[in-house]
Amino acid sequence: MGSFYISEDVTRDGVAVLAAGGEIDYEASPQLRKSIAGHIKAGVGRLLLDLSSATFIDSTAIGVLVSSANALRESHDGSLAIVCPEENENVHRILEIAGLRGFIPVGHTRQEALSVLVPGG
Amino acid sequence: MQRSAEIEADVTIGVARELRLPARPSQLRVARDYAREVATAFGLDTQARYAFVYAVNEAVTNAIRHGAPDEQGLISLRVVVADGRLTLSVSDSGTFLVPPRDDAAIPERGRGFQMMASLVDEVHLSIESGGTTVSLSTARLGARTD
Repeated sequence: MGSFYISEDVTRDGVAVLAAGGEIDYEASPQLRKSIAGHIKAGVGRLLLDLSSATFIDSTAIGVLVSSANALRESHDGSLAIVCPEENENVHRILEIAGLRGFIPVGHTRQEALSVLVPGG
Repeated sequence: MQRSAEIEADVTIGVARELRLPARPSQLRVARDYAREVATAFGLDTQARYAFVYAVNEAVTNAIRHGAPDEQGLISLRVVVADGRLTLSVSDSGTFLVPPRDDAAIPERGRGFQMMASLVDEVHLSIESGGTTVSLSTARLGARTD
């Protein structure tokens, strides 16, 4: 089974892109929270979380996403979007069961998700 | 860690098996691997197996976060197969903490239990003076109603 990792990047438009892979559980979710919080603190208002390589995302990690989306909205009037390809059925199912649909936009590609965060971009 | 062959034999016979783990986040992957082996031996299909493992992970996470391990710092996972149903029970020595009600339309916390219920056929919660047990039960494909 894949172990958890995070890789970080920032686009030309100033969107922070975090790719989180492997199994995102209670051991891993604090690291995810910390990475996202770091970007928010640094003034980033738009954040993309790429879950293409995630095999598993538990409720504590879902909680991190919800609180992060709220924090972005409150502090920078910003937003969070998720990337999850169609083929990653497991993670799609989890996001659906967790009730995130309609709250955090999910794109099948980075391009799709970015277009939500950077309208016209 | 039991070998797959051992688990398979026990699951078929229906003998209860127990795994005791340190109540630490690093042990979650051990719990998931165990749940995966048990589910495979029982014969759950890919999707049902993933759902079962996910639910077990939630229950074990809850025990680690909110429960109290026994005097040796352990929580226990017990497997029982009976009447075509697979049941995995996660026990700790603490009192189940019902998360404070979060009335936001999208709650930030407390969705683990709700997700467990969406993923397996039955979830039983037992709170006694000695501790809390969350039992997750699922039947094989064919006996399921979805």
